[in-house]
Amino acid sequence: MSGLAVSGLTVVGPAGAAVVRDLDLSTARGEVLALVGPSGTGKTTVLRAVLDVLPPGLTRIAGRVEWDGAELRATRRWRRRHVGYLGQDPSSALHPLLTARAAVLEPLRVLGRSRAVRRARAEQALADVGLDPEELGERLPHQLSGGQAQRVALARALAADPDLLVLDEPTSALDPEALETAVALIRRRRAEGRSATLIVSHDGSVVAGLADRVVRLGMPPAAAPPAAPRAATRARTAGPVLAVGGLGLDRPDGAPLLDDAGLAIAPGEFVAVLGPSGCGKSTLLRALAGLHPVRAGTATLLGEPLRWPVRGRSVPALRALSLVGQDPLAALNPARPVSAALRRPLRLLRGLSRREAAAEADRLLAAVGLPADTARRYPSALSGGQRQRVALARALAAGPALLLADEITAALDAGTAERVLDLLDLLRQKEELAVLAVTHDKTVAARADRVLRIGRSMTDDRR
Amino acid sequence: MRVSRVLLVAVAAGGVLALALGGEALAGREPTRTVAAPWAVAGPGLPLGADVLGRDVLARVLAGGRDLTLGALAAAGAASSLGVAGGLWAGWSRGRAARAARALSDLLLVLPLLLVAMLAVVTVPGPAAVIAGTVFGGAPLTLRVMADATAQARHTGYVEAALSRGERGLSVLFREVLPAHAGLVGADLGQRMVLAVQLSAALNVLGFGPPPPEADWAAMLRENLPGIGLNPAAVLAPAAALALLAGSVAGLSHILAGRS
Repeated sequence: MSGLAVSGLTVVGPAGAAVVRDLDLSTARGEVLALVGPSGTGKTTVLRAVLDVLPPGLTRIAGRVEWDGAELRATRRWRRRHVGYLGQDPSSALHPLLTARAAVLEPLRVLGRSRAVRRARAEQALADVGLDPEELGERLPHQLSGGQAQRVALARALAADPDLLVLDEPTSALDPEALETAVALIRRRRAEGRSATLIVSHDGSVVAGLADRVVRLGMPPAAAPPAAPRAATRARTAGPVLAVGGLGLDRPDGAPLLDDAGLAIAPGEFVAVLGPSGCGKSTLLRALAGLHPVRAGTATLLGEPLRWPVRGRSVPALRALSLVGQDPLAALNPARPVSAALRRPLRLLRGLSRREAAAEADRLLAAVGLPADTARRYPSALSGGQRQRVALARALAAGPALLLADEITAALDAGTAERVLDLLDLLRQKEELAVLAVTHDKTVAARADRVLRIGRSMTDDRR
Repeated sequence: MRVSRVLLVAVAAGGVLALALGGEALAGREPTRTVAAPWAVAGPGLPLGADVLGRDVLARVLAGGRDLTLGALAAAGAASSLGVAGGLWAGWSRGRAARAARALSDLLLVLPLLLVAMLAVVTVPGPAAVIAGTVFGGAPLTLRVMADATAQARHTGYVEAALSRGERGLSVLFREVLPAHAGLVGADLGQRMVLAVQLSAALNVLGFGPPPPEADWAAMLRENLPGIGLNPAAVLAPAAALALLAGSVAGLSHILAGRS
């Protein structure tokens, strides 16, 4: 048959445990196959095994991968000629020293056309994903927002018009408009019928809107109600948890992002931050966390003035405010086990003893729906969704009054995302945890008490 | 399967290092005593023949690696730790002093290494010259690499999380940044060690090594080169020992680099 056919695929981990067992899948040209399943069931591993790019520690011990009816031998050459791949993590997927345009030009070299033709195609590919090549073409990855980086990576995967398109969470960081563009683009390719597509996504609407067939991996986990970690005693004050006034922020290259913005968040309140890609949502959160320089503005946290750079903050301020970042790949130290990441804040900020911290770390893992043996594992042995939940557990460890959450459900399947949001709801009721969440996910925004929209200024939709 | 191969390389390389350091105990015969005619070929009781003064080549090879290896270890350790510490600081701090340190290390990289080593060897004794040469030639490279890695690590989630729980700079560097780059540091240490072995061998061949009756691989090359037609083993054995030492160190550093 034409297209991709995989049979009997089995991948084992370092200890010999099967990560993927005897999996069959196929996708013909003109077809879109979606892989879905809960976080940690080996979806990304399947994609990597198919492309023969498994990371060290994982080994394919059985299985046959056929392309257009012949078993694959020279996989490197095949990948270069026929495959467009978009990895899971938008900000790590791009080479840090290549501009957006150079990144998209790179796969076009295999076509062997003239420079001008390739350049025009790269510009077209960027425009197709809704990015202005004039404005963004010369930017380096760290000057792009998460959503923009993901779209550059998508443009790169699509640029050479590959016969096989492999997409791992291609839409996790996209706002609705960009999502629409990306889905339309993939649908157009499907209609042209020349290429096969393999897609992993947690977004049910993307899968429903695109996939001809769906392969489910793993069993859905038993839906136990989330158990809240033990309440950390904290002095409560009346009034807002955080009040910010006259906030001015700049992009790293100096262009202004926000002027004279203000916001106030009450205890237990859930505020969603929406806005197009690149408008400064993540920057706002990072600035509040003291990790991005602030041009102007003042803030009070629990009634105390809040200093801007994180280094100047007192222990109560550090405890009260915690951030979960957007990039699950770099969120955890590769050299330290999960337990170390969780116990350190417990010991440092809450002053727990070694034993108490270990017990509390297990409770935190259970609260975010991870098995207890995760504590002993290293980040390289965790999937994107599992890492994201570890990062969330780490942020909750100090018992914050305000959680700054940047796309915390982007790497999670619908069931797990639901569970995480339920946990936040529970903490909001029991401990008056306030949440300021940047999101593209409508189901997250639907749970919010109110929505902040960011353009050059901020508007506040009361509900 | 991978684990056993790593173990094999580690044991083999560790064995070579141990032999280089403690081989004298196995020699069985004093390496400085004349026992045969100059450049006598191999025979019973003389597995590798005799050298320029009729001394046992095997005994001299077994004894001749210790000072060289110890010197190289000290030199590599000094160069690597100075470079790593400097790199962590220069990559982390945004102050003027850190920028000056980077500029100084770039300046040192421009100086030809052998010139620096020759200057050092005429002013201080041989082993100190090897250390000085390795530090001047190697530490700036380590500093550059480590400073760049540290500067990049500043923006990772785990460093920001550490800052957000109020860790101090030193604590972030030693608890988060350094462990995350353990492989890099190990590989770098191996590189400096190879450099130190080469530098040490070069200076000893030129006659700046231990004084004559002492056995030394590099000095043996020079002493026995005129007699290579009579007893090739007197030159080949120390040369092989030098190559084996450098290879073992490179293998060890490869393992360390692959660990992370």
